[in-house]
Amino acid sequence: MLHKPGFVLSDGTTLDDLIDRDMNEVSMRVMDDAELYHHEMERIFAKTWLLLGHDSEIPKSGDYVVRDMGEDNVIVARARDGQINVSLNVCPHRGMKVCTAEAGNAPIHRCIYHGWAFRPDGSFIGAPIEKEQMHGSKRTKDELGLKKARVHIYGGLIFATWNIEGPSFDEFLGDAKYYLDQLFCRTDSGLELLGPPQRFVLPCNWKIPSEQSASDGFHTLTLHRSLMEGGVMGGTAESIYDNAPGMYGVDVGFEQGHSLRCLEAAQTFKMFSDMSFEGKTLDERLEMLPPPGITKELIPQLHKNLSPAQVEQLATIPPQVGGMFPNVLVAFIFAPRTDGGSSGALALHAYVPRGPHQVEFVNFIFAEKDCPEQMKRDMLQNSIQQTGTSGLIEQDDADTWPQIQRAARGVMSKTQTLKYQAIHGHEKPEGWQGGGYCYPGFTKDDTQWNWWLAYHRLMSADA
Amino acid sequence: MIDRSTASADQSAIVRGLVSKVRVPLGSEIYNRILETLYDEAAALDERRFDDWVAMLAEDLVYTAPIRLTRNGVNKDRDVMRTMMHFDDTYESLLLRTGRLTKSAWAEDPPSRTRRFVTNVRVGELDAPEEYEVISYLYVERSRLSVPENEQTSGERRDVWRNVGGVYKLARREIILDQSTLSMANLAIFL
Ligand code: FES
Ligand SMILES: [Fe+2]
Repeated sequence: MLHKPGFVLSDGTTLDDLIDRDMNEVSMRVMDDAELYHHEMERIFAKTWLLLGHDSEIPKSGDYVVRDMGEDNVIVARARDGQINVSLNVCPHRGMKVCTAEAGNAPIHRCIYHGWAFRPDGSFIGAPIEKEQMHGSKRTKDELGLKKARVHIYGGLIFATWNIEGPSFDEFLGDAKYYLDQLFCRTDSGLELLGPPQRFVLPCNWKIPSEQSASDGFHTLTLHRSLMEGGVMGGTAESIYDNAPGMYGVDVGFEQGHSLRCLEAAQTFKMFSDMSFEGKTLDERLEMLPPPGITKELIPQLHKNLSPAQVEQLATIPPQVGGMFPNVLVAFIFAPRTDGGSSGALALHAYVPRGPHQVEFVNFIFAEKDCPEQMKRDMLQNSIQQTGTSGLIEQDDADTWPQIQRAARGVMSKTQTLKYQAIHGHEKPEGWQGGGYCYPGFTKDDTQWNWWLAYHRLMSADA
Repeated sequence: MIDRSTASADQSAIVRGLVSKVRVPLGSEIYNRILETLYDEAAALDERRFDDWVAMLAEDLVYTAPIRLTRNGVNKDRDVMRTMMHFDDTYESLLLRTGRLTKSAWAEDPPSRTRRFVTNVRVGELDAPEEYEVISYLYVERSRLSVPENEQTSGERRDVWRNVGGVYKLARREIILDQSTLSMANLAIFL
């Protein structure tokens, strides 16, 4: 691994100049600085755990998808032993991309340049004309495999890191695991990705969508005003700033930079708002309003896979949106449908850096593997209509972020700061079972500020 | 069971060109009327006359845009993935979209200036009476705000147009975009 001490930018600017931890302000320069970006690639994207996909994408031996860890292209492949391997998609011979397709099945990956061949686990098989020993004799075959990343599968999600000796995946999740398990590890068969992810590129720095993913609930009220106008969140266009539907709940944040907004579904969405849970048992509540993506039939599985406290949370105030540091948005929501009902939409987004001024938005859409086909169909349609490329909700985000990016180019604009000063402070609600920092009430800046503190921590650690 | 894995190639038949065996020749009355309709549709969308556009849609419309995935070898032509889409709409959901555009839809307020170029139109007769298979190429230039660089997209549209009392209505559209990673920041416009 690389070893570099804390950094100072070439004009003498330090991380503390950019992130003012007394004022809770971040200089807009961070969004438009090539030098800082290179440090981020080394200190964050080459160091921490990154989301690459889901194991349902590559069910068979030899199946692979090609994905990105920062700007490093990798092959995510299932080997003969069933294990998932993540290897750098760069030929150790002369640097050609080994796998030129984006997905497929191949027992052997043969580089098209000179023909060096590799197994799905990245190991080197050999070069053509074996007797001529075209890989020479200075290095053994063991040394000539594709560079391998460390892999962890969590709830079927494929994570990888180049930090072989670094924190375990559990350490990376920390107390967020208790909440994320309620989304990813709640049923016997788990989630299924409903198709390859949607992908599109936005002209903005990766941190603009990523800091929002750290539970920026507040923007919903104004940027996603059309949701209120559609009447789906209770309230009307005229009253949105008075009763602020969906803005109240419990935001939870973690030292690692992850966060989740736990919201009472019945409070958030008008279609459920006349439900009365008074005097109902947990199971009755779950049956009346199962969390997004869950059917009545799957409720017994919740009890089997989760603790009673976790089930209680799912029944009363489930985690619905949030983020995983550094670049993942989690959305397990009820989204409006044309028929007035809701099937739920389960989506994860990875915001993959593409240089200081570009990000690739990768939208993964899920359903529970054991839910009926018709429900999968409905959830797919609901997710596509509300999130990602053409999503009615996220169109507005995709148009906003590039405008922040363009602003960050200006000499004066760069010196402006992003402000995270609406702070609630940690306050554990009575009877709250989960860990982390809790911010009950109106959604504020705490979780996003935690995101920047996590960023600061990684960026100031030795690379 | 639908195979949704990313690694598996799309199992639906590879479609190339017209499925219909009965060609509607270029320059014929029907061909000309359909071509006019496509031009009118492009103008309605470019001019953001969404009520006029909706009036051109059949109520049983299915409107989709599958994703593309780069494949090699034996599967090199199976690069359309219909398990995932950029658009997955019906007449009702398109009404929801056009309805939103009259309210606080910041993605298109202020609106983009767009120019849709529709070419390479091929028409065939379908079994259902008065229904025509219409394939066209689409190229879109989109100017957003004061940004001097336009966003573009290109693709093929596989449509079914239905003659309803002398007026052609769109009954099916599949938009096959050329990019596997879209360069357009959002699809807040119709294709
Ligand atoms: S670069 Fe791959 S074999 Fe030469
Ligand atoms: Fe948003």
